[in-house]
Amino acid sequence: MDSHFLKVDLFGIPWLTVNVPNLILTTVAMAIVFFVTFFMSRKIQMYPTGAQNALEYLVQFIKNVISSTMDWKQGKNFIMLGITIILYVFVANMMGVPFELATADHDVWWNSPTSNPVLTISLAAFIIILTHIYGLKLKGPKEYGKDYFRPAFFMAPFKVIEDLSNTLTLGMRLYANIYAKEMIMVMLVGLGASGVFWAFGAFIPLVVFQAFSVFIGSLQAFIFCMLTMVYMAHKVSEEH
Amino acid sequence: MGSIAIAVAITAGLAAIAGAFGVAIVVRSTLQGITRQPEIRGPLQTVMFIGVPLVEALPIFAIVIAFLLLGNM
Repeated sequence: MDSHFLKVDLFGIPWLTVNVPNLILTTVAMAIVFFVTFFMSRKIQMYPTGAQNALEYLVQFIKNVISSTMDWKQGKNFIMLGITIILYVFVANMMGVPFELATADHDVWWNSPTSNPVLTISLAAFIIILTHIYGLKLKGPKEYGKDYFRPAFFMAPFKVIEDLSNTLTLGMRLYANIYAKEMIMVMLVGLGASGVFWAFGAFIPLVVFQAFSVFIGSLQAFIFCMLTMVYMAHKVSEEH
Repeated sequence: MGSIAIAVAITAGLAAIAGAFGVAIVVRSTLQGITRQPEIRGPLQTVMFIGVPLVEALPIFAIVIAFLLLGNM
């Protein structure tokens, strides 16, 4: 139950540890996303069929998400960002659904990489930093600086706090959902392993919960993408 | 040891109750808005998807504190 990960000191510095299974798993998730989209988008035709249809549906979906939060003039920059985020988070959430690998002494080697708080919070931090960069780029430094003092001058501390809490909640929401999912699955498997009678008892709940975790995973991927666009719209769009 | 377990249980349970009620209020209002004016379904859903995470933030903090306590056990 008390699962842990293999950790290695980076460059031999004792406090700078690297979570090896997570590195491998994120790389696998990135590889899956890259190769699936790469091979889906090879034969582009005027009248789309099969894989191209699916990708075009995804692009249209992201377009709808973006245009519901900001103008298309700024929003056209973020289509690729949205597709990348939704696919990566979706694949990462789905990785722990079919099975999970661990050694006999609970060293985990395969699960959802998003069930680790460090990974999700750094993902969220990168996104918040990216919103600041795009705010500077699309609105200019002057408008960006003025934004901290809108609608009144005393709002500046709250805006800074908002960024911090956005980072925390964006990362923690994904982590808490996926971690809870993994935890309940591990418990069900542990229940099934405790006896022949329980194995039959735990099988149907496990299948039902796998279906539910597919739902949770896609919903969290969508919410992550949606919130990225909402935070981006806060920084990027001009208020009138 | 035992008291921390009880604290974790209370924290997680209260967070679940609070999150459920908060999200229920948001979704209920959205549903009422949609039934009144079905044509603004899209914008209402967008606002709902902004509002639900805002409401959820505090229960998530509570769950994080529960996890931290669990680590102290």
